[in-house]
Amino acid sequence: MTAAEASDPGPQHSLRAALRVQLRVIGALTLRELGTRFGRDNLGYLWLFLEPAMLGGAIGLLHKLTGHAMPGGLDPGTFFVIGYVPFYLLRSVVNRAPSVISANQSLLYHRHVTLLDIVIARNLLEGGAAFGAMLGFLLFFGLVAGEWPHEPAKIVLGLAFMLLLAHGLGMLVAVGSVYADLFDRVTHLLTYLSMPLTGAFYMVFWLPTELQRMALWIPTVHCFELVRDGQFGARVPTHYDIVYVLGWIAALNLLGMAGLRRARRHLVV
Amino acid sequence: MIRLHDLHKSYKTHFGERVVLRGINCTFHRGEKVGILGRNGAGKTTLLRLIAGVEYPTSGRVERRMTVSWPLGFAGAMHYSITGADNARFIARIYGKPIAETVEQVESFAELGEYYRMPVRTYSSGMIMRLGFALSLAIEFDCYLVDEAIAVGDARFGERARQALADRRENGTLLLVSHVPGLVRKFCTSAAVLRDGRLIRYDKVDEAIAAYEAG
Repeated sequence: MTAAEASDPGPQHSLRAALRVQLRVIGALTLRELGTRFGRDNLGYLWLFLEPAMLGGAIGLLHKLTGHAMPGGLDPGTFFVIGYVPFYLLRSVVNRAPSVISANQSLLYHRHVTLLDIVIARNLLEGGAAFGAMLGFLLFFGLVAGEWPHEPAKIVLGLAFMLLLAHGLGMLVAVGSVYADLFDRVTHLLTYLSMPLTGAFYMVFWLPTELQRMALWIPTVHCFELVRDGQFGARVPTHYDIVYVLGWIAALNLLGMAGLRRARRHLVV
Repeated sequence: MIRLHDLHKSYKTHFGERVVLRGINCTFHRGEKVGILGRNGAGKTTLLRLIAGVEYPTSGRVERRMTVSWPLGFAGAMHYSITGADNARFIARIYGKPIAETVEQVESFAELGEYYRMPVRTYSSGMIMRLGFALSLAIEFDCYLVDEAIAVGDARFGERARQALADRRENGTLLLVSHVPGLVRKFCTSAAVLRDGRLIRYDKVDEAIAAYEAG
């Protein structure tokens, strides 16, 4: 493809050509983001996985050492690690969202780089980090404790749903940050405060029936339960509704994409 | 061809709405070299950014029927936390150019020495400008949008930049914004004056300069 085609995917170009440009841009952005965040020094890109792994490992280890018994006789280390990794994904996507546009504004000098491309590239990286860290932990638990996941596909699905939820929410936060500084100030506070609600560290079946129903309104709760089902299988009862999560994902993503389109028109670069 | 359809642009500030462009209609044909003259604050840069698609008009539309560069002369198009070479790689990737070739081409034009492999934030402003210009030359566009910034920088580089641009404009289209009539006279075959948020085109550069200086 020539530069001429690339820089002007006008109406005469097919959807496929436009898609190809978008994929190429997202690929370039992802590589660049890797470069800016981790550089080429010492461990470099490895930090992508090490960062969540160290945090997750520390949380898991703490709970393992304090040694309190888990309902259902689950291993506390495993329980907290597989809860922490998806939570880390949610938090890092949403926490970075207020700065995602301002930090990458210079990229908008290239007309076919869209805000959506920028956000997707960044979140792909966050997703990669979480998947990498999760894979590392699951292998570790399997090899060391002989505790292999019951259904790995469900873990992948749960993590993917979390990524898509976080991506949608992150887009909305990013849109908000274009219009008001407020988002930059309160996002960290809100992600911090919301931690106990997200479902990262409790299971639905621990709760009384009334609270169970309320907890299941929260979309992230379903993702964590799905991951646990994948890890522990029938050893503990899990509650989730895939259609419900997909509904949230669709709504957040559509609103987020529409918002980004609108924000682009008002953005002062 | 680039056609501007009733472009309006205003910015929200603490002192209310600031109107910069008030209805610009204009067509630039392939092969034209047009100088756009305007005083500081007349909205030259804003107009260039709208044509480039960096920012969007408040109302109106920009129709592009050829490939249009990003506004050259700004440091905006690059990333400061990565090296000059990585910037070249990035540009090559998003515009679908061969990577190694682009990296080499930018290196030889920008003449940054070992700084080319260091983060852009360690550069002097002159080096940033050289890199920015070299990056923009690495991609072939039908139309180049140039801010007067190419007039600054050290004399030797300025001369090479002008030469490179002159080579390009042989068959290319050029829109140059400036407040310096001499620069427009040197590069352009016709000109326009941007004043009070409106653009008036003149067939002859001298007519435009006369009108500009009369204002």
